[in-house]
Amino acid sequence: MRIDPITRKRLRRFRRLKRGYYSFLILAGFTALSLFSNYIANRRAIVVSYQDSLYFPTFRFHDMATFGQQDEYGFDDVEADYTALQQTFRQDGGRNWVLMPLVPFDPYEPDFEYDHPPPNPPDRRHWFGTDSQGRDVFARLLYGFRISILFAVSLVVVGEVIGTIVGSMQGFLGGRFDIFSQRFIEIWSTLPFLYVVILLATFFKPSFLSLLAIMTLFEWIRMTYYMRTEIYREKTKEYCLAARSFGASRRRLIFRHLLPNCMTPLVTITPFAIVGAISVLTALDYLGYGLPAPTPSWGEMIDQAMDSSNRDKIWLSVAPFTAISVTLLLVTLIGEAIREAFDPKQYAHYT
Amino acid sequence: MSSPILEVRDLRKYYPVRGGLFGGKRGDVKAVESVSLDVEPGETLGLVGESGCGKSTLGRTVMRLEEPTSGAVRFEGRDVAHASKRELFELRRDLQMIFQDPYSSLNPRLTIGEIVREPLDIHRRGTHTERLERVEELLESVGLQVSWKDRYPHELSGGQRQRVGVARSLALGPKLIIADEPVSALDVSVQGQILNLMVRFQWELELSYIFISHDLSVVEYISDRVAIMYLGRIVEQGAKTAIFANPGHPYTRALMDAVPVAHPAQRREREPISGESPSAVNPPPGCAFHPRCPFAVDVCRELVPELEPTGGNDGHVVACHRQGEV
Repeated sequence: MRIDPITRKRLRRFRRLKRGYYSFLILAGFTALSLFSNYIANRRAIVVSYQDSLYFPTFRFHDMATFGQQDEYGFDDVEADYTALQQTFRQDGGRNWVLMPLVPFDPYEPDFEYDHPPPNPPDRRHWFGTDSQGRDVFARLLYGFRISILFAVSLVVVGEVIGTIVGSMQGFLGGRFDIFSQRFIEIWSTLPFLYVVILLATFFKPSFLSLLAIMTLFEWIRMTYYMRTEIYREKTKEYCLAARSFGASRRRLIFRHLLPNCMTPLVTITPFAIVGAISVLTALDYLGYGLPAPTPSWGEMIDQAMDSSNRDKIWLSVAPFTAISVTLLLVTLIGEAIREAFDPKQYAHYT
Repeated sequence: MSSPILEVRDLRKYYPVRGGLFGGKRGDVKAVESVSLDVEPGETLGLVGESGCGKSTLGRTVMRLEEPTSGAVRFEGRDVAHASKRELFELRRDLQMIFQDPYSSLNPRLTIGEIVREPLDIHRRGTHTERLERVEELLESVGLQVSWKDRYPHELSGGQRQRVGVARSLALGPKLIIADEPVSALDVSVQGQILNLMVRFQWELELSYIFISHDLSVVEYISDRVAIMYLGRIVEQGAKTAIFANPGHPYTRALMDAVPVAHPAQRREREPISGESPSAVNPPPGCAFHPRCPFAVDVCRELVPELEPTGGNDGHVVACHRQGEV
């Protein structure tokens, strides 16, 4: 793909803004890593070598009988216990082996190996301790990060696509369409978003997708404001008139001339929109109207930490609070750097 | 006399002034009011007026970049003002435009080659290779290095950019080019180069121009005929020689007095126009120039003057009640 020189220059400038650039690298690294959460924190082994065949339990279900295990209550169809399997294989000293993830716990399964009831403080077994249901805090933090980022990015992307389409149409078509759609947006944007989501969440138990859909209803609005004015401004510039004077089609005008010159607000707003989306999702989860339990989520973790019976269990609050602050700080630093690198005043000619 | 390549009859362009919750109409800006003019094949018509008099709007309305409110525009007998999308698309091959601002008239994200090639792409002229060849030919003919086709507009100077604008307007082989203040944004030394380029192409390609400008000396250099606009109307029109030798309208005279001269000995008695151009939303009744005219009498405040011949058979017309008296 050919990158035009303005964009290239901006990217170069972004790279030079160290604080933002390193934040970007760190966050990108975390995000990439979190995509492989299943190999970092999981009860299921990454690879099992049993009787000379290889098994990949993260992809397929294997019951206990497969590896010669037996459920203590005699049930069939119970998934193999890979941690126990690893122990057994080690004791046998044979050629069978199990490769477990770094953290051999998933974010759902309680750990009953302790003498006293959860939550248990951090130790060598659970680095960040366990929560009030005995689940590993590190695993929940990791999966929670993945969900937060995925949710925020999808929300922002979907919202921006819709907002860009609507805003461009307002700016491009102008006239009656613009007047009426703008009035609609003004009315729509006065709806108190959080209350509407809470109200809806009391009727439907939200899932990842339905929560995404509900929040998109409000997320698209902000982008329309920027795109509308950008297109309004750009379309009166002479290069647009020139294109029209050759008989350029609408499609050509929009996609070749207008949109490439209107991308600055989109790019500069995205990081801040992501910050907002992460915060809102956390807030909803905290209030209990977000993603359904037992989805690992930072809001739910904070909710647990704030519970009066957990006041002295400080590890419950330290982990999610640190994670949220660091993530939001990183995204904000990225956003700041992008905003500086994309400063339109550097290239605009005011005549 | 051959038939004109472009005929404009009674062209009007009003912009509604809107306000209120649902954008109700409050009035009109009469940007172009009842303008008629002809352009002969191979001639240059200079269109002069101060900022905001509607000369650019007139150019854009003739091009159908703005929808005319009423009136007729005929190009080689073909109706431009009411042309369908398809007819208009075909008319665009013959009718082109050069823009004022060499900075904003080129898309900053396209290369020079892409910019010049765009009209060829839109009109599907020849194969891809043929288009590339044509682009090189065009760049060469406007005095740009062919190797610059991969550069971006911001790497070029104002004069070079305007050459790109000229090359682009020539790409489809037009017959009439509307040049909207093509040199106003350039240094004086560069202005001359661009003007000479335009004159050369006029000779080589038998082009007609409508040359819009507020600079009388530039218009005097390039035009065959001149039309003076004031507040949306043409107030004087005629052969360049006739108008510059014998300006009929007080406004034309005032404009000419305002042209700076090179030598103190050439300095003339100046009669500066007082006041500002009145609002086009509420133009003064009668002759629009009367509030600033030193010769205004009662009739000027009541009746809109028509364009009347000055007497000769040279087509010199003036819209002034006191024509010949002052």
